[in-house]
Amino acid sequence: MFEKSLYDLIRGLRNHKGNEKEYIQNCLKECRSEIKSQDMDVKATALLKIIYLEMNGHDMSWASFHVLEVMSSPKYHQKRVGYLGAVQSFKTDTEVLMLATNLLKKDLSASSPIVISLPIAALPHIITPSLALSVLADLLPRLSHSHSAIRKKTIVTLYRLALVYPETLRAAWPKIKERLMDKHEDPSVTAAIVNVVCELGWRRPQDFLPLAPRLFELLVDGGNNWMAIKLIKLFATLTPLEPRLVRKLLPPLTDLIRTTPAMSLLYECINGIIQGGILGDSEDDGREEIASLCVSKLRGMITFNGDANLKYVALLAFNRIVVTHPFLVAQQEDVIMECIDSEDITIRIKALDLVQGMVSSDNLVSIVSRLMRQLKTSTNPNNDQLDDLSTDSSEEMGAERRSRKRDEAPPLPEDYTIDVIGRILKMCSQNNYSSVVDFDWYIDVLTQLIRIAPASRKEVDSDGMALGPKSTTADISESIGNELRNVAVKVKAVRAAAVRAAELIIAKLSMETTSHQVISGSLKPVAWIAGEYANLLSNPSDTLNHLLQLIPRIRPSEVLATCLQASMKLFALIAGNDQTYWTAERKSMVSLLMARVIHTYEPLVLHPSLEVQERAVEFTELLKLTAEAASAQASSTDELEQDPPLLLTQAIPSLFQGWELNSVAVGAQLNVPMPEGLDLDEPIHPNLSSLLAQADSLMLPIQEDDEFSAYYNEKAAPTSISSEPAINRLRDAPETTSGSYQQATEDSYLDADIIARRKAERAERNRDDPFYIGDLGSPSRSQGTSTPIHNILQNENGPDLDIDSIPIMKLDLGAISSSGVGGAPGTPQRSKAPKSRPQIVVAADETLVGSRPSTPRTGSQHDSDADPSSASAKSRAARKLKQSLLQVDSSHLRNLSLEASHSEDSGGGALPHEKLAETDAEMAKAMKEVQRLRLEMQRANERIHVAQGVPTEGVVVKSKKKKEGKKTKSKSKSEEDGPGAGEDEKEKKVVKKKKKKKAEADATEGGGEGGPVGGEGEGEGEAVITIKKKEKEKVKKKKPKRIIQLGDEDDAGAGARAEAGEP
Amino acid sequence: MINAFLVFNGQGQPRLTKFYTQLDTSIQQRLISEIFTLVANRPKGSCNFLPLPPLLAASSTSTSSSEPHNDVPSLVTYRNYATLYFIIISTSTESPLALIDLIQVYVESLDRLFENVCELDLIFNFETLHATLGEMIVGGVVIETNMEKIVQGVRAQGTVAKRPVNESRGGGMGLGSGLGAGLGMGGNFVWSGR
Repeated sequence: MFEKSLYDLIRGLRNHKGNEKEYIQNCLKECRSEIKSQDMDVKATALLKIIYLEMNGHDMSWASFHVLEVMSSPKYHQKRVGYLGAVQSFKTDTEVLMLATNLLKKDLSASSPIVISLPIAALPHIITPSLALSVLADLLPRLSHSHSAIRKKTIVTLYRLALVYPETLRAAWPKIKERLMDKHEDPSVTAAIVNVVCELGWRRPQDFLPLAPRLFELLVDGGNNWMAIKLIKLFATLTPLEPRLVRKLLPPLTDLIRTTPAMSLLYECINGIIQGGILGDSEDDGREEIASLCVSKLRGMITFNGDANLKYVALLAFNRIVVTHPFLVAQQEDVIMECIDSEDITIRIKALDLVQGMVSSDNLVSIVSRLMRQLKTSTNPNNDQLDDLSTDSSEEMGAERRSRKRDEAPPLPEDYTIDVIGRILKMCSQNNYSSVVDFDWYIDVLTQLIRIAPASRKEVDSDGMALGPKSTTADISESIGNELRNVAVKVKAVRAAAVRAAELIIAKLSMETTSHQVISGSLKPVAWIAGEYANLLSNPSDTLNHLLQLIPRIRPSEVLATCLQASMKLFALIAGNDQTYWTAERKSMVSLLMARVIHTYEPLVLHPSLEVQERAVEFTELLKLTAEAASAQASSTDELEQDPPLLLTQAIPSLFQGWELNSVAVGAQLNVPMPEGLDLDEPIHPNLSSLLAQADSLMLPIQEDDEFSAYYNEKAAPTSISSEPAINRLRDAPETTSGSYQQATEDSYLDADIIARRKAERAERNRDDPFYIGDLGSPSRSQGTSTPIHNILQNENGPDLDIDSIPIMKLDLGAISSSGVGGAPGTPQRSKAPKSRPQIVVAADETLVGSRPSTPRTGSQHDSDADPSSASAKSRAARKLKQSLLQVDSSHLRNLSLEASHSEDSGGGALPHEKLAETDAEMAKAMKEVQRLRLEMQRANERIHVAQGVPTEGVVVKSKKKKEGKKTKSKSKSEEDGPGAGEDEKEKKVVKKKKKKKAEADATEGGGEGGPVGGEGEGEGEAVITIKKKEKEKVKKKKPKRIIQLGDEDDAGAGARAEAGEP
Repeated sequence: MINAFLVFNGQGQPRLTKFYTQLDTSIQQRLISEIFTLVANRPKGSCNFLPLPPLLAASSTSTSSSEPHNDVPSLVTYRNYATLYFIIISTSTESPLALIDLIQVYVESLDRLFENVCELDLIFNFETLHATLGEMIVGGVVIETNMEKIVQGVRAQGTVAKRPVNESRGGGMGLGSGLGAGLGMGGNFVWSGR
């Protein structure tokens, strides 16, 4: 049979364009049979082919045993293929890994350096704690191998060992440090050590402080840029712990910055200065100088020749500075803002990150305007197209970036759009809206965003996807809506405006979505606003109409439930007026309305979601009752005036009236103090059931009610920080805030109708502006600006007032634009902002005294309807996700202290040495004991197994001793159990050893039973490699013997225990 | 540390995959294709860093700002040589600009080993690709950046000359002609100053 070489395979692949799949399947089939061949060459070639196919996505985990076989080949070029296969395909849970231990150990002790390299390079890929434990002893001596290549690889491998088995470092660190300190060491080994120390450094910086002098020396006269970069990174983590280092580091760093021709080193110097906190406070002259030097260099990087890489890294550095020195970055606002419009998406995202950090009330409007313009120009013309291509945004991405001009404005990729919207919301809402001066502007921005936000197709298509951006698209328009709701709840001054915006959005949604489904996630919060603040709506019955039209088309049950509730609230408002009489006109109007509502609700009575079903059932029944009452109530005539039915005017509205809802801080519930003497496990009353039986059914609820209201009325006052009363007292004219109105820029990102409305509103507002007309005496407006009459006035008088308002506009522009957009984010103008700030009061989240001071998440998140438990569940899930791909888990390492080894070198040395000696002595003692017990057991064994004999015993014992000792050492170190436990352990070990010995003996007899023994991680594999398929039956045969053996061991163990007990 | 080193060509066919933490083959392929989509759509003159592909972004968005140093891969660096893309996925402990240089060192080393390297060399000698990478990076940590030593280390394993590619070239199989344009090293030395 003719076998393909790898070369043939690849050539074949290239010749079978079109039907590669079939070809590959054939090849795989061939490989499967070839790899079982007895000929090692054929086997290795087949494995190489399989590895090649694995690279192209064909799983090779089935071949793991064959990988092991090839690894054990005595020929280097075959062995290498085997190791390559192991690196590429083995996982930590690969079963044959356990059988590989002995092979690895053997290859680690090979004489040829290229053979040694193979296991060293492979170990990081397959390492497990137990494997680390067993190979550590063989790996450590390689640190002093004569080849520098071996030494440096060993160092790195030890680091990876330490990640899964931190104890490695305890043994290895002194040796590594010795290498590092050795001035005659090969520079590339030193560099490798520095790399490793840098990786370790950020996890436990305090352990590496003693190394600082040597590291400093390396930095100053190392002459290796690669190493210098790592050293600087390392120092950046050390300086926070040792401030004196800063003084020492500054001269060489500044020197490097000024002289180095290598851009990467220059950048890392700057980066190190930033990260090490060397920028520090500006009290020191030298530092001031270096700060400005850094910033100017970074600025230079951004503008330099348009080199995109430098631009990117400079933005990265700015991102770090902005955390501590926002003002330094704010000075560079101009160049950074340029990057936001860069055609390179990576740079753009980094710039966005940065902008988010440096936002303040001065530049918020200009930044958001810029982003809005970007969004608007790119999404507006091809709104529909975006919908169609939402899944395949990558192509658009490319096209978009290649030609991005204002006029063409191809669509942005959808996830980028979502990202930007999210950031806008975050920027505006951060610190409880402290940066937003003009909430009217914000509401307009939100309204516009809802239109821009990409439709949420994904959620409808499939919400079962576990990974990835599950329903971010659905979330984004919902979170815009949530923002609007937050504003409506928190900022009373603009509540009316927010409600009007909600009204508009609902109207637009009901007009636009002609398709079957309503997909905008914004509907839920928006409907809630409309329902909750129905009295502020300009036209409640229209809104109710729109809602009723929307309800049958809503798919998500949560949204549906909210809409049901909202429409009911609206109905209550419209129909529940008890001031007017029950005229015939009103009667028919109300009856019709009720019929409509019932008609809309009725299909939902059978809705699969319980929440929706329940509400639908309740409301339908209630409305039916009311409808009966309404038709029974005769309408008032000229003579006889009839009141409307009470059910309509009292009962239904009272369902929705109550305390005003304020935003509550996340976790506030947790801070509710537990009442003294409350024991939840105790029954409320010893014989509650009989009490309940006796109790008057009316009595209980009333009592409860009293308690309830008393609790809330008394407690609420001192604990809530709601600023509601303050608003009412202090501010009568709420909307006279002066925002920075730049009509020109707004035009560019807000839709025409929003602008028109805005204009009209502004005109309306200016009419009452005390600065404008001598209207001072007139009573300032209250929040009821949105009454129908006002709207009519506003619409009709718009044009006149607009003319009148021009001077005011100019005034505003002059004052604000200089502070908001002016080149220097001015210190002089800054006073302006605080002046206008107090005019708008943003209610803080309510919480209880003594609560956790700040919640890290943004308002939009903690105000969302999700209860805290689900939020925490989400974050838990996120944490789990975080651990996912490609990440090396180093959490174990964090707990290991290197202190012992450090204090050893940093001076006294007595204690650690003592300890070391102590452990050595202990170990010697333990070993002696083990030896003795073992002998004892051998004897016992011999007595029982006379027939079988134990020929090679002595040799085996000798060879095992060393390893045993190591194990005892590590164990006795890690667990400080009582002597008794230690004894037990030793016995266990003895037992194990006996098993091994047995196995060895068996193996020499005829093939051996390496499998089960090796399975204990003791590394008995030597024989395994050679046994191949015979193994299974062998094992089977062995079974009975083993049982006997175990029995023996028990006896022997008992004997040993008895022995040990005696002095 | 470095989490992965990938090489693939302009059609997204992998030429070398090395993951320093173990991943399922299918996820590896998904990651490669995600990165390929990102990389293939870069406009001219954009930087050598990619935004995180969705697979990775999902796992690291929340932490990136709060913890500057962590184990989460946060940087995807790439370089394009002729028909090939070289990708490094790394954590923030690596220097971005140094990674660009590292790719350069790798490619230059290959160039030395193969003498005017082209994609075909890499296709047929993927074992040598691995060997070369193994001389530079072990377990995700850079161990050598000196080209001399890297080349020396690979040659010590005695593999480069033995591969059938040289035969094929000699035998005039006609495969080398179309793609053997070399990787265009000369034009890519923008960073030699570093």
